[in-house]
Amino acid sequence: MTLRCALSGLAQWLALTGLMVVVSLSPLRAEVQVPDELVKKLAAEMTQAVRNDPELQNPNSVKISDFVQKNIVPRFDFDRITQIAMGRNWAKASPTEQKQIVIEFGKLLTRTYSNAISTLKELDVEIKTTRVTTPNVDVTVKTQMIGRPQPVAIDYGLINGPGGWKVSDVTVEGISLVAAYRDEFNGLVSASGVQGVIDALKKKNGG
Amino acid sequence: MKIRTASVFFLLAVLPNIAFAAPVKKMKPAVITAPLVEENEPAPPNDMLEPLNRATFALNDGIDFVLINPLVTLWNGIMPSFVRTGVGNFFNNLDDVYVGVNHVLQGNGSAAGADFKRVVVNTTVGIGGLFDVGAKMGLHKVDGDFGQTLGVWGFPTGPYLILPLLGPSTFRETAGRSVRVMTDPRSYMDTVPSYSLMGLEYLQTRADTKANEGLIAASSLDRYVFIRNLYLQKRALLVKSGRDKTSSAAN
Repeated sequence: MTLRCALSGLAQWLALTGLMVVVSLSPLRAEVQVPDELVKKLAAEMTQAVRNDPELQNPNSVKISDFVQKNIVPRFDFDRITQIAMGRNWAKASPTEQKQIVIEFGKLLTRTYSNAISTLKELDVEIKTTRVTTPNVDVTVKTQMIGRPQPVAIDYGLINGPGGWKVSDVTVEGISLVAAYRDEFNGLVSASGVQGVIDALKKKNGG
Repeated sequence: MKIRTASVFFLLAVLPNIAFAAPVKKMKPAVITAPLVEENEPAPPNDMLEPLNRATFALNDGIDFVLINPLVTLWNGIMPSFVRTGVGNFFNNLDDVYVGVNHVLQGNGSAAGADFKRVVVNTTVGIGGLFDVGAKMGLHKVDGDFGQTLGVWGFPTGPYLILPLLGPSTFRETAGRSVRVMTDPRSYMDTVPSYSLMGLEYLQTRADTKANEGLIAASSLDRYVFIRNLYLQKRALLVKSGRDKTSSAAN
């Protein structure tokens, strides 16, 4: 009797030890997730969700902004994106201004991505990923979306930072949105300084 | 017993996590956030005619507002989507002939071969170009035009230029477009069918790009600058890909 009790106790111990190993390893596993997998997951989740839920096809719905907040935003490095978009103007901004620009630009980008994602239903997605190394990012994962007359190439630039792999640039057909914002920021800074960027962003975000 | 199991669970599962959390973090690959590459920042765009361009841009916006947008809305409203797709395919098929010729001029024989294959398949099986059968066979449409050819040949882009009705362009692309118009068979047709066909193509093109125009308006701080950047990026890429393919074909 005591032996059986001891045995079942041992079994419990063993089971718990197994659990312990799994639990203690899981954060490590998340950290070494390869960028290709991350992008594949991101793209597949996005397109599937939009196709299955008509509400996500409305760019102004609360649902799409919730979806983006929950699924997209945590995987983007807005600090880095803002820094690249500001380019040489980044150094001209005070730390407080930098923080403000990151917040406001993050809001604008979130809305832009919501708008873009809501159009995904028209695409039949076949995700092929390939990795290449490019300047300013640690790795670029190239994907192809098939379905319109021409396949659409979407490349994700990722960097490996303290929070794991995060997206820091997206190009569609080789065209970078961040580069387009850099021209706008340059114009705004030369016209009315760093404050001009903050004002324009705030105005665009409706606040 | 239950309390004991819980405390054992705590000891075994939670404590090691706390204890090993730090070493695990240290094991992570070093943060390889490369410093921003300064020379990666492109030179400011050549827009010496900016005041004139902004005026033409505003004029085009006005024309869009009073004429083009209502027409596009009407076109999208009365034509079922398969008709619109068919019309788009029809003009794409005509364009493919022109794309193929340009790939020949760029010395890119394999791309030209694919373009002409598309034209043959789409004109025959695709009933005069109404159906894009080529794409279903894996022969996707490729962009190409004479402005790109001039770029591949080494002509500089020149200043940015907004054309009335046609929108963003550059000196080089305008030269390319003029050659296109002069060599377009439609230029030698009777006025009425010629203008109707060109008008229809214009309408279809604008209908195709309407969704993108909305995206740009919603995302940009200064729409003029935003569009200029996207357009110049696109043209630079087209020339670069033409050059890369030509040099790889030559080797």
